[in-house]
Amino acid sequence: MIRLEDVSKRYPNGTAALQDVDLTIGAGEFAFLVGSSGAGKSTLIRLLIREELPTTGRVVVNGKDVARMRRSQVPHLRRLVGVVFQDFKLLPTKTVTENVAFALVVTGHTGRVVREETERALQVVGLSHRRSHFPRELSGGEQQRVAIARALVNRPRVLIADEPTGNLDPVTSWEIIKLLTHVQELGTTLVMATHNAEIVNALRRRVIHLDKGSVVRDEREGLYAA
Amino acid sequence: MRRIGYVFVAAWQGFWRNPVMSVAATLTVSLMLLLFAFFIVTDRGLQAAVVALESKVELVLYIDEGAKPSDTLALKARIEKDPAVARVEYVTKQQALERLRELAQRKEDFTLADIGTNPLPASLEVKLANAQATGRLAASLREELGRGVVTDVIDNPTVVEKLLTITRVLSIGGLAVLAMMLFVALFVIVNTIRIAVHARRDEIEIMQLVGATDWFVSWPFIVEGMLVGVLGAIVALAVLAAAAQPVTSAMVGFLDILPVSLGTSFVLELAAGVLGFALLVGGFGASFSVRSQLSKGARA
Repeated sequence: MIRLEDVSKRYPNGTAALQDVDLTIGAGEFAFLVGSSGAGKSTLIRLLIREELPTTGRVVVNGKDVARMRRSQVPHLRRLVGVVFQDFKLLPTKTVTENVAFALVVTGHTGRVVREETERALQVVGLSHRRSHFPRELSGGEQQRVAIARALVNRPRVLIADEPTGNLDPVTSWEIIKLLTHVQELGTTLVMATHNAEIVNALRRRVIHLDKGSVVRDEREGLYAA
Repeated sequence: MRRIGYVFVAAWQGFWRNPVMSVAATLTVSLMLLLFAFFIVTDRGLQAAVVALESKVELVLYIDEGAKPSDTLALKARIEKDPAVARVEYVTKQQALERLRELAQRKEDFTLADIGTNPLPASLEVKLANAQATGRLAASLREELGRGVVTDVIDNPTVVEKLLTITRVLSIGGLAVLAMMLFVALFVIVNTIRIAVHARRDEIEIMQLVGATDWFVSWPFIVEGMLVGVLGAIVALAVLAAAAQPVTSAMVGFLDILPVSLGTSFVLELAAGVLGFALLVGGFGASFSVRSQLSKGARA
């Protein structure tokens, strides 16, 4: 599903964010991305959704070379790859329903399909009762669930979570993790960057450890630290 | 069709759910348009003043006492054929005296002693349609001197020259100020909209992240920009309409020689012009601003 071949990313200011990264993540897999701040986790995620282009190498998502994609195809990539962020990134002027529905509306869906799929996604994250609220009226955990519902509503093949529990308390964090693992069990590829050792150690999933832009450890049922 | 519906709903929501920014932008736009419209009206008044001033330019031909009325009328007819001439008025000796008496009554320090005979000559007063032609016309009329009809040609060349200079400065100056105002209004409105769009760059980024095409991101902003423009224009035109009557009467009272009435067709043109300008600038301003944000989001 995701393949990185000899990928390096150097920013214009000279920082080498990634160096010679080779990586394959299969369809339906669950992989943690760990490493200290600045290790390259966020850069890797940005390459997958083409917020950045690799300096060298190939980034292949769902069989397509992301870097060679035309600009007009980028929106299609982003519908295939749902993303959840640490800071939720909800539209503050739209209600919960509108935030989730928006991801469908932009793909050209209308009317009944939008209503039904939005409702389905809100039920998955357990927020149907909050559908008319604005993001500022919700708790952090609820906002993150809205973001997950929005990522899921297009039924993406890949779900990427960048520090999804970074702004949440431990109890809420676990609720979010349960939700994400549930989504993965239903067949979505899940890549999660995290600093939360407790969660990584409890789940015992694949762990990809980045340090100074290189993959230093890749274990099937890994722990947060080697 | 539904996409268009989406654009309008999203634009409407964008406007009302960011009320402070929207109201600030709308007020800025209306102030700029008000200023712009005010200058258009002023310039229109100036142009009317120019026309009024230039219409005051005239040539006077004094007629010989012994000239035959038929010769005088023939000359009058000939002068009237010139395209630069608006009309020619024949003032008899008697009418000239009447005018002098009227003038004497209005001026306190001017007394007309009882005069038995009438010393004033009859005259032809030539009103000009085109003040620039005064010199040429005066020269050609001087050729009539000594042919038994015309005794003198009065054309005040220096006064006419000064008047023409003033009216030229007024026309060109008015146009220059208007052009400057157009630029200022354009610049301030586009910049205001740019700031409003920039304040919502996160929103644009999020839209791109969930897979919105550029089309889907930009059009609500463009329509919202047009909405800001149109609302600003309506506010500006309402203020203008409310102020028009008192300002006009004050102007007419102050400059009672100048006809500053603007006419319905001009008012309609002005309203349409301001509205169209606001719509275009709002739309293009938003389009331009969103585009610069879009290119930051999706690297190509």
